[in-house]
Amino acid sequence: MASTHVTKRAKYKTTIKDPGTPGTLRMTFEKILFVPHNPKSAGKLDVEFRYIKGKKHTKEGSNKPPWLNLTNNQNGSFIFEFENYSDLQECRDFVGKVLAKGGEVSEKPTVAYPDEQLSAAEMELRIKLLQEDSELQKLHKQFVLSGVLTETEFWATRKKLLDREASKKTKQRLGFKSAMISDIKPSTDGRTNKVTFNLTPEVILQIFAEKPAVHRAFLSYVPNKMSERTFWTKYFRAEYLHSTKNSIAAAAEAAEDEELAVFLKQDDILASEARKKIRRVDPTLDMEADEGDDYTHLPDHGILREGSKEMTESQNELYKRSLSQDINRHAAVVLEGRAVDVELEDTKAVAEALAQSKQKSSNKGESDGDTSRERLDRLSRMTEIEDLQGPNTLPLAPLCIKDPRDYFDSQQANALRSSGDALGEIEQIKCGLSTQEVYGSLRESISSIKAMGLKEPIVKPEVAHQVFDALTNSISNTKYHIGKNPQESVLDRLPRKTKEELLHHWTSILELLKHFWASYPITTTYLYVKVNRLKDAMSNIYPQLEEIKGSVPSELRHQVSLLVRPMHQALDAAIQHYEASMQKRSAQSGERPNGYV
Amino acid sequence: MKFQIEDVTVYFPYDHIYPEQYSYMIELKGTLDAKGHCLLEMPTGTGKTIALLSLITSYSLSKPQSPMKLIYCTRTVHEMEKTLAELKILHNYQIKHLGPQARILAIGLSSRKNLCVNPTVVAAENRDSVDAGCRKLTASWVRALAEENTDVTTCEFFESYEKAASAAVLPPGVYTLQELRAFGKEKGWCPYFLARHMVQFANVVVYSYQYLLDPKVAGIISKEMQKESVVVFDEAHNIDNVCIEALSVSVRRQTLEGATRNLSRISQEIDRYVFFYSRGLYRCQFLNWIMVGRFKATDTSILRAEYNRLVEGLVLGGNLPITDNWLSNPALPDDILKEAVPGNIRRAEHFLHVLRRLVQYLSGRLDTENVEKESPVGFVASICSHAGIDQKTLKFCYDRLHSLMLTLEITDTDEFLHIQTICDFATLVGTYGRGFSTIIEPFDERMPHIPDPVLQLSCHDASLAIKPVFDRFQSVVITSGTLSPIDLYPRLLNFHPVVSRSFTMSLTRDCICPMVLTRGSDQLPVSTKFDMRSDPGVVRNYGKLLLEMVSVVPDGIVCFFVSYSYMDGIINTWNDSGILKEIMQHKLVFIETQDVVETTLALDNYRRACDCGRGAVFFSVARGKVAEGIDFDRHYGRLVIMIGVPFQYTLSKILLARLEYLRDTFQIKEGDFLTFDALRQAAQCVGRVIRSKADYGMMIFADKRYSRHDKRSKLPSWILSHLQDANLNLSTDMALHIAREFLKKMAQPYDKTGSSDKKTLLSQEEMEKLGDGSMHEMSY
Repeated sequence: MASTHVTKRAKYKTTIKDPGTPGTLRMTFEKILFVPHNPKSAGKLDVEFRYIKGKKHTKEGSNKPPWLNLTNNQNGSFIFEFENYSDLQECRDFVGKVLAKGGEVSEKPTVAYPDEQLSAAEMELRIKLLQEDSELQKLHKQFVLSGVLTETEFWATRKKLLDREASKKTKQRLGFKSAMISDIKPSTDGRTNKVTFNLTPEVILQIFAEKPAVHRAFLSYVPNKMSERTFWTKYFRAEYLHSTKNSIAAAAEAAEDEELAVFLKQDDILASEARKKIRRVDPTLDMEADEGDDYTHLPDHGILREGSKEMTESQNELYKRSLSQDINRHAAVVLEGRAVDVELEDTKAVAEALAQSKQKSSNKGESDGDTSRERLDRLSRMTEIEDLQGPNTLPLAPLCIKDPRDYFDSQQANALRSSGDALGEIEQIKCGLSTQEVYGSLRESISSIKAMGLKEPIVKPEVAHQVFDALTNSISNTKYHIGKNPQESVLDRLPRKTKEELLHHWTSILELLKHFWASYPITTTYLYVKVNRLKDAMSNIYPQLEEIKGSVPSELRHQVSLLVRPMHQALDAAIQHYEASMQKRSAQSGERPNGYV
Repeated sequence: MKFQIEDVTVYFPYDHIYPEQYSYMIELKGTLDAKGHCLLEMPTGTGKTIALLSLITSYSLSKPQSPMKLIYCTRTVHEMEKTLAELKILHNYQIKHLGPQARILAIGLSSRKNLCVNPTVVAAENRDSVDAGCRKLTASWVRALAEENTDVTTCEFFESYEKAASAAVLPPGVYTLQELRAFGKEKGWCPYFLARHMVQFANVVVYSYQYLLDPKVAGIISKEMQKESVVVFDEAHNIDNVCIEALSVSVRRQTLEGATRNLSRISQEIDRYVFFYSRGLYRCQFLNWIMVGRFKATDTSILRAEYNRLVEGLVLGGNLPITDNWLSNPALPDDILKEAVPGNIRRAEHFLHVLRRLVQYLSGRLDTENVEKESPVGFVASICSHAGIDQKTLKFCYDRLHSLMLTLEITDTDEFLHIQTICDFATLVGTYGRGFSTIIEPFDERMPHIPDPVLQLSCHDASLAIKPVFDRFQSVVITSGTLSPIDLYPRLLNFHPVVSRSFTMSLTRDCICPMVLTRGSDQLPVSTKFDMRSDPGVVRNYGKLLLEMVSVVPDGIVCFFVSYSYMDGIINTWNDSGILKEIMQHKLVFIETQDVVETTLALDNYRRACDCGRGAVFFSVARGKVAEGIDFDRHYGRLVIMIGVPFQYTLSKILLARLEYLRDTFQIKEGDFLTFDALRQAAQCVGRVIRSKADYGMMIFADKRYSRHDKRSKLPSWILSHLQDANLNLSTDMALHIAREFLKKMAQPYDKTGSSDKKTLLSQEEMEKLGDGSMHEMSY
């Protein structure tokens, strides 16, 4: 909240085609004010922000002018054309802030709450989340804008959502392009024999990654020994010589120019890296070991294999490089991914960053000694024949459910099928244990943890799975046992509007209850006020539910009431608890003469 | 699971078993009972190895009074590792059920290069330098010297192994090469010599074919294996080639030049001894001697002692210390003369003269303009008349050289490979009259303008090398996924199996989908026939096929070409025409090259690309190293494309000579043999995609010649039975359609145990029922 208002020059347009009225746009937290330069023109505008629903804007780099499009709740829109993108950005950020703050800015809650400073990024993230999820938006509107919950409270229960969104953003990194660097084709100007190569930092990074020798040469030559331009000219000269596949000419040129020779020679860094890597290779495909064991093919023993001849000849081998080598190297680099994460602007910076990251990775490679262990584990896993073995408990990736309802719906078929025996099992588990046994097993497990430390995973996967199954079973059952048919739940038979309303109420009740129960025990005045607010909101829902019941056709009323009943129960319980605690409180405060609110 | 086959309780480490594994075990048991040899073909992906291992180990467990050793031969080191890993699972299971009495010792044996833990030795570039490096530290004379002079370095691992003497034993267990190394490092004992020592006591030994088939290696390592052993050759479809290669030698110009250098070095060494004797003092004349810094109190008496020994007929002077062993005689043990070395080569100088004359004669022969083919008998006769070396002298060349090098205490054996090759050649040509031929080619057929003369002594008869194995061991099991036609192998290897059977595969669902692609997307035929292979249209069609497939098939795709040169050519063309670039947009591309290190890394990266979901294509060669033993199971290979028919180079003189021999001796037609050989290679390539019945994969034979019945019918029956008539003559678009359908079908969940009438997976209960049934039948 750096500034409380923004003022920019802009053109106001009523439609996209409208050429627009030039003027000044002034935005404060409350309203948008547009005053045309020409006081006689009709475009004067004064809108309060609470009527503004959404915003759109043109992207920088697209060939459209910088437009900001604000839509109001009557589906009308105000389009402003700015002079440049930075103005647009500023205004856009501002609108975003105001839209997000919306309710709390307009009606400041009377109770002080821990104020938080939000960065623009966080703000945008929240807005994005609201935009993506209409249900969330509805809830947000219902509670935050109406003042039942504050912005902070609303988001506090959704921290995970925010975190995940945030982490997702940083995690994804761009890899290398799949195209080979030899695909960089020069452009000619058509008249002379001169060719021009266009090198971007992106391409240069790729060249450095694929050819460590070039990288090393760059670090040592540029800019002390030669300019960057000459460096790359030499590089492409060498590439040209390779492409002619004339190793004799390459050798001749290399003899004359020692810098050029660096590019033409086999990459010695690669060779030494390969030797290092070969030791870590999976033993089931280590063909090098195989060669070490092959006494039949002593030099000149056995029958000549096709191709073995080519290996021995060619004295210019030093300057020979095959396409297959390049392809293998390229694929390996793409697979490794990009280690450097800097803004690619300066070649020098790119080169140095790459050198650093290599240093790091080589240090890491030396330090980790458990790779061989890992390899062995992998090997033994690979050798097992999968379908002869019973189901294997593989390390599972944690399940991420965005919308729990989808999950339970899909689980229904499984749940119904196994519900009978699963329930039976639960019964068994429940009655089979006496207190002493439980105590005993607890002690046992504690002592085992003491002895061996925590195992990974802590809970046995089978046990976890069983518990999980049982839980989802009962949850999805309660929902579906109302409608006996798993395919068509009772909800589907209700009119669309009613169904939506019901679901919406259900989610809003959940939201309220979540906050309600989270506020106990009441320790501060703030919580006290909050609970009161929540209670009021909850009591408002009763008549709404009754209204729904009344609005449905008579044949469905019973089912609706069945659906509504758990909501009622939940609310009842909450309110009961509220009243009980209020009584206690008043009794307590009665004891205390000074009174304490 | 545990079940009964007649009187043997079989311990099988899984909860279920395939019915074909069960019947495989029954056949195997029959063989062991009959103490005979057998030939079993079972499709890949049905768990041959584990069936073999669990039956044989269970068999020897059930008969504790006559312990039986299992010698398991694999083609490659990585297969050795895989086998040991499976054995480990089995062993753990047996211990769990039987307790300590099930303990066995199983070791993998490989060369020093793969087992050495001495960092200075193992840092050497190749196998021969590692071997030589080891000898430099461990040879008996070096160690003797080290006792007098502390400056002489020895190998600490070997020394402590020697010190531990009889205490140096491996506790029972299953040891992969890596674990052997780890054990050696931990104890400070040399894992290589420990393993060599433990081979005699181990219940299971896993090593490479050559350790049994190649007389050079077998002579050292497998000499003392007892008769009551079961020898298993796994993936044995190429065993005839291994056999003939073990007895073949070729000599080139470089070899002869190297041999000449070696000879002068040897004569220098001899002179030094003489010189030393006459002066009676030591001069640091040679660099290596300076480095070693050795002081010797020996003299020409060593040479004299050797002479005396040779007169007595003891070529190698009795028992050599284990470290002094070099490669052994290239001829088979039965063919080696057990008599004194002829008088004319007993003296070192005389022997050197003989070798010089031989080298000179050979280099004269290499100067020819034409291709010359001769039988060994004729060759020996002409050596005799031109160089004055008779057959018996030739025969003893190898042993005489070996003895001389030991006498001269030469440790850097890797420098002397050339003269060794010459002696191998001489010994073989002197020993064998039949089944061999010598061929001199002045240049490579494909590059007639580059003179590159080569003299080859090639063996045509695969039965020669394997005969000692059949004679010596009680049971020999030859098994593979592709042994079709199964009646050919007994003829090629000249033995009589008591059991010879080919199993089919019962599949729960059609999880393999072979197709024959005959036309490209433009409906023109595709083939790698000589006149068509360089046609740009064909190359483009192959490229289009791959391009379409990479966009449809998930994870890994393997593409086999007929030869390195063809692969290089086609990839270059694809690169120029931009097809390769388009392929790269879908998947990463990795290529097998002639450099094993690079290929291994490429394979490793390929696997990682498949693991992480990026997907990759691997280009490989049908007779190359990858095709020989790397599995592309599960997501590592959902599709194999075999581009072309991998015929051998039919103009090769060696191949022609072998074909002629086969026709004359076994009445096998040339065409039949060539097709058989090409199709077994193709089947081997495509067979690598499937590992279990839960796995699935497609196979595309992309050549119009596969649609012909005479070619196709040579494929193994388990592939043929899934090759539908509709898939015999496809074009690219049709193949693409089938691939889409197939992948969709395979993605569905299915019942693993198969439908009720056709069980493809048996559980413990079902096995017991089956056992009862067979017992019941037997009683009637």
